[in-house]
Amino acid sequence: MKKYTWLTLWALFLTTLLFTTSCDSDDVAPMPTVEYKKLAEGNAAGSDIKVELYSTEDLATGYNQLYVALFDAAGKRIEQGSVSLKPQMDMGMMKHAAPVENPVSEQTKNGYFPGAVVFTMPSGEMGSWTLGIQVQANGQTGTFTTPVTIKEPATSRLKSFVSKTDGAKYFVVYLQPQKPKVGVNDIEIAVYKANSMMDYPAVTNLSLVLEPEMPTMGHGSPNNVNPTHAGGGHYKGKANFTMTGLWYLHLTINDATGEAGKLHFEVNF
Amino acid sequence: MKTPLLLGALALAAVPVLAQQKAIPADSVRTIVLQEVAVVTKRHDHQQHLQNFYNANQAATTEELMSRMPELSFIRRGSYGMEPTIRAYSGGQVSVTLDGMRIQGACTDKMDPATIYIEPLNLQRIEVQTAGASSMQGAAIGGSLDMKLAEAELSDERKLSGSVSSGYQSAAHAMLGGLRLSYATPTWGLRASSTYRKAQNYRNGHGEKVLYSQYEKANYALNGKFLLQEDLVLKADLIIDDGWNIGFPALPMDVGQANARIGSVSLVRENSDRRWSRVEARLYANRIAHSMDDSARPDLPVRMDMPGLSRTSGMYLEGTTSPGHHQQLTVRADASASYLSASMTMYQEGQTPMYMLTWPDNRQLQSGIAAQYSFQVGDKTQLQLNSRVNLSDFAITTGEGRSQLSVFGYENTARQFVIPSLSLQASRMVYKKLKASLSGGFNGRTPTASELYGFYLFTQFDGFDYVGNPNMKSEKSLQSEFTLSWQEPRVRLQATGYVSRVQDYIVGTYDPNLSAMTIGARGVKVYDNTPYALLAGAEASAVYNITGYTQLVSTLRYNYGRNADGEPLPMIPPLRSITSLRKYFGDNLWVQGETELAAAQNRNSESFRERPTKAFMLWHLRAGYQRETENKVWQLNTGIENIFDVHYREHLDWGRIARPGRNVFVQVSMGF
Ligand SMILES: [Cu+2]
Ligand SMILES: [Cu+2]
Repeated sequence: MKKYTWLTLWALFLTTLLFTTSCDSDDVAPMPTVEYKKLAEGNAAGSDIKVELYSTEDLATGYNQLYVALFDAAGKRIEQGSVSLKPQMDMGMMKHAAPVENPVSEQTKNGYFPGAVVFTMPSGEMGSWTLGIQVQANGQTGTFTTPVTIKEPATSRLKSFVSKTDGAKYFVVYLQPQKPKVGVNDIEIAVYKANSMMDYPAVTNLSLVLEPEMPTMGHGSPNNVNPTHAGGGHYKGKANFTMTGLWYLHLTINDATGEAGKLHFEVNF
Repeated sequence: MKTPLLLGALALAAVPVLAQQKAIPADSVRTIVLQEVAVVTKRHDHQQHLQNFYNANQAATTEELMSRMPELSFIRRGSYGMEPTIRAYSGGQVSVTLDGMRIQGACTDKMDPATIYIEPLNLQRIEVQTAGASSMQGAAIGGSLDMKLAEAELSDERKLSGSVSSGYQSAAHAMLGGLRLSYATPTWGLRASSTYRKAQNYRNGHGEKVLYSQYEKANYALNGKFLLQEDLVLKADLIIDDGWNIGFPALPMDVGQANARIGSVSLVRENSDRRWSRVEARLYANRIAHSMDDSARPDLPVRMDMPGLSRTSGMYLEGTTSPGHHQQLTVRADASASYLSASMTMYQEGQTPMYMLTWPDNRQLQSGIAAQYSFQVGDKTQLQLNSRVNLSDFAITTGEGRSQLSVFGYENTARQFVIPSLSLQASRMVYKKLKASLSGGFNGRTPTASELYGFYLFTQFDGFDYVGNPNMKSEKSLQSEFTLSWQEPRVRLQATGYVSRVQDYIVGTYDPNLSAMTIGARGVKVYDNTPYALLAGAEASAVYNITGYTQLVSTLRYNYGRNADGEPLPMIPPLRSITSLRKYFGDNLWVQGETELAAAQNRNSESFRERPTKAFMLWHLRAGYQRETENKVWQLNTGIENIFDVHYREHLDWGRIARPGRNVFVQVSMGF
């Protein structure tokens, strides 16, 4: 009889242990699947190289990652060559270009030459954009030019300001976070200077101050890291969001002589 | 033993057990027995009873009953869901259990202490243990409060019994309905009870309605008892408690829904012939869902929804044996796992909803082994040793939760705590019927989920948003207690003094670098260990049976607290005394006059923006009448509380909200 009692007690004990030590659920983020959308294709004039232009998103004002695939006359993918991007907007009275990032390597990555264009305004009544893709491969050189339609995103990803220190116009684009979350977010922005209508070099010598704010509630967030230059005019830092909703990322942009300008990006999630 | 003090079948009252003292009482245990037929078990015959006057208002809630115990005070944010404090210890410093079961509140604002899930109708007794004796219940520095559930009974004859009761309180136009049914057979018994309460906004001493002080609730309890063997009983309990439309006048939010499901199964073997004279094993689980919002409040720029969920399962195993002559050893092993999560969503017109986890999903595993050893040394001296080792393991369970906390740079959020406690109590009859007890020891407690992981928890008390800190140390306390008591059949006097030094005292510290989340908040405080706090105080009680039909009961208490900088601690109740005089007219009628006196509290904490509280004095009058017919017991309870309609508040009441004014109550019950 006594044995029976103790057995029951142990059974109870073990059951409890079992159901109190259920494992913690840990959400595993699924691997993002990148889908390349073909925007245009055609032969590079002056060569028999076929050019295909891809992106993962619709083109919009701001920073656009572009992927160029090259094929020879036989339809075989070209893995080595040089590609440069030449965006141009025709506004009737005048034309202007846009900041670009040409593929840094002459070698493709996953079959593509990756580059980027910062379209500075949307297509529309003001004017229209074309994108020239100059290629050099297999001993041939040619340019493929295609019209592109640039949309204005719901939340602006491009800001500009006239510097208080040198009077030049600067463009600031928002790259990250694309998937903002409550927590610590990697932030990445890039800054370009308009030297002329056709020349937009990356600016590498700025110091930025980041201040996130929730405008509807009037609060900020702690422990943000000011973006610092990480190459090619890109600045990387950390922005912390304490809740979902609309946030402003306030940026104060300083150059060697002092405060050049102030702007903010909106993040809404 | 039918004395005028024993009020028959429905007298929610205790028997003053003065006869046959088996051992010298352990003075750190206070009990109020509320059983309908007061059954004082062998284990509790030595405890102090400040009986009848505790629940002279039979329409009272469990909270109201407990607030009359000298050791207990309540932090009041509304007329319902008051947070119990023992002496001046609150929150995570005290262990509040329901019949030994742990229940974690699901509200980040502490609106749902475990005391709300039990109604006087299914409450058998309340056990408050101070100092070291609480280590049987859990790792706490401020003592323990355990509410014992009423149980089904077994009877030699098949028997159906029950009661119906209804009550009314005028200050809040509160209605109460209660129903109990019990069925007893020789081998099994069932007990079912339900209570329904509905209170409107109450009226304060100035005749004004206190907005958002209403509440409504229903409580159902089912208990079954089955005799498996001569000395082996299987028990099962289920409690369903649903509250809704619960207002919190001192807070910016109210509770829409608060649902608790509490269940347990246990085995008890009681047999004094066995080596282990009593063994109990219990398995329990509970789920608390809480949703608060501000939908009832007018004109807010932002609307908020704050749901919370807590799930706990656990077990304990307890055995009592006598290792030798005049010795008693009780050993207890317990383990539990609690899962907590709470979130907040804010809505503003035309904006994306703003969402965050206020308690990032987290869990607490805890297990402990405790022992209580009593030794009767000769005729006059008794020693009692209490000890416990408690292990706790806290962790954030989701990536989302960890991501959120990383905002504060908290990379490692998992925490383990080992908390030892030990106390020794020596009691001795020093002179005739005068007994002295001295106890000393150390204990500790883990930080709470809010203190470790809380995410911008707004606290109306000081107007700050509170942020948890997973890097905190446990809170440790060194304490000592001294009791003198004089017991004889007609007079019982007891006085206790205590002092404790709490090391690594946990408090929110203002961080000027953080910006407040809540609109209108004054800033952000982050929980941290401060060097120490000093708490001290005293309680005294007197029971004087002037004649067999007249009884005087009086209690007095005082608490003192300061931090390491010498500043008074917040939420320290002032000097307070309750005195009641009860007179019986025959066996069926009694009348009780009562005064409640609280001194002013001018030792307020400036850094918490706490304000002083004025003194007050209240007068109450209560009466009870009982009539027994052949198979029924009718009982009428009535009275007036706060006769002179005094406008007052207690120091532990938040938001300077006044308490109810004059309150006429009446309760009728019929038992069969
Ligand atoms: Cu916010
Ligand atoms: Cu709540």
